[in-house]
Amino acid sequence: MAGSNVAESLDRLIHERIRLGIVSALAAEDGMSFADLKQVLQTTDGNLSVHARKLEDAGYIRVTKGFEDRRPRTQYRLTAKGRRAFEEYVNQMETIISEARDALERS
Amino acid sequence: MTIPTQHDREHAKETLDYIRRTMESATSFTAVSGWGLVTVGFVGLVAAWLAWSGGRDADLRIWLPTAFVSVVIASISNVAKARRTNVPIWSGAIRRSVWVIAPALAAGGVLTLALARDGATHLLPGMWLALYGAGVTAGAEFSIRAIRWMGISFLLLGAVGLLRPDWGLPLLAAGFGGLHLVIGINIVVRHGG
Repeated sequence: MAGSNVAESLDRLIHERIRLGIVSALAAEDGMSFADLKQVLQTTDGNLSVHARKLEDAGYIRVTKGFEDRRPRTQYRLTAKGRRAFEEYVNQMETIISEARDALERS
Repeated sequence: MTIPTQHDREHAKETLDYIRRTMESATSFTAVSGWGLVTVGFVGLVAAWLAWSGGRDADLRIWLPTAFVSVVIASISNVAKARRTNVPIWSGAIRRSVWVIAPALAAGGVLTLALARDGATHLLPGMWLALYGAGVTAGAEFSIRAIRWMGISFLLLGAVGLLRPDWGLPLLAAGFGGLHLVIGINIVVRHGG
């Protein structure tokens, strides 16, 4: 990704695969449990916890803890800031594709 | 200004594809039990045989219990598959599926009462097939592709049934028996049970 201005300005926080997965899933499905996210992303408890914490610290996702049937349940939601960052990231990906195509056509 | 390379482009495309797959996966209900549908298909065939033996295509004494038993079988088998495959049972996707299927089924219930009361029972098979097809096709928006094809096929059978009420019983057998069996076997083979 080093060859492009757009690529250089990418949000490193959601560029990482698992974190991008968390943000993508929450952009599509507002409010997912830890178990839901783990199943969608096919990852381990530890991996998901670590990356979710980073997104939470950055204010991209909001975590609420509660109980369901007396069992602890952690619920994740995307914040407005997180949604903006996600949309910006998708736009940047599309820009990279169109710029590369233009460059190919010119050459 | 630096220009994105072909490598950048391939990576961006792959990333967008990953985002799309993740979003789809977050909103889809995939724990549809093929064996459950096969069982429901057998129940449908038995009901069609009983209706044929009794000489009344749309005998509510047969088809109402059949509908109830089928819903119970489908629910139990889907929950069992969700547990086995470690998929959330009451996810957002299944909640939405139930909400979009329910209006068509409720309309079917009301129409059944109205048509049966007015003695227009010859229209019931086509109406049941069409509204079940409408509900399943809508609910399939949040599920696997095989379910959408099943819904569309039910809709077509329903249209035929409404235009040719005299074919009611064979169409009920083909739909609630045959289609459930075929799609169920397809899911067993392609989606592991």
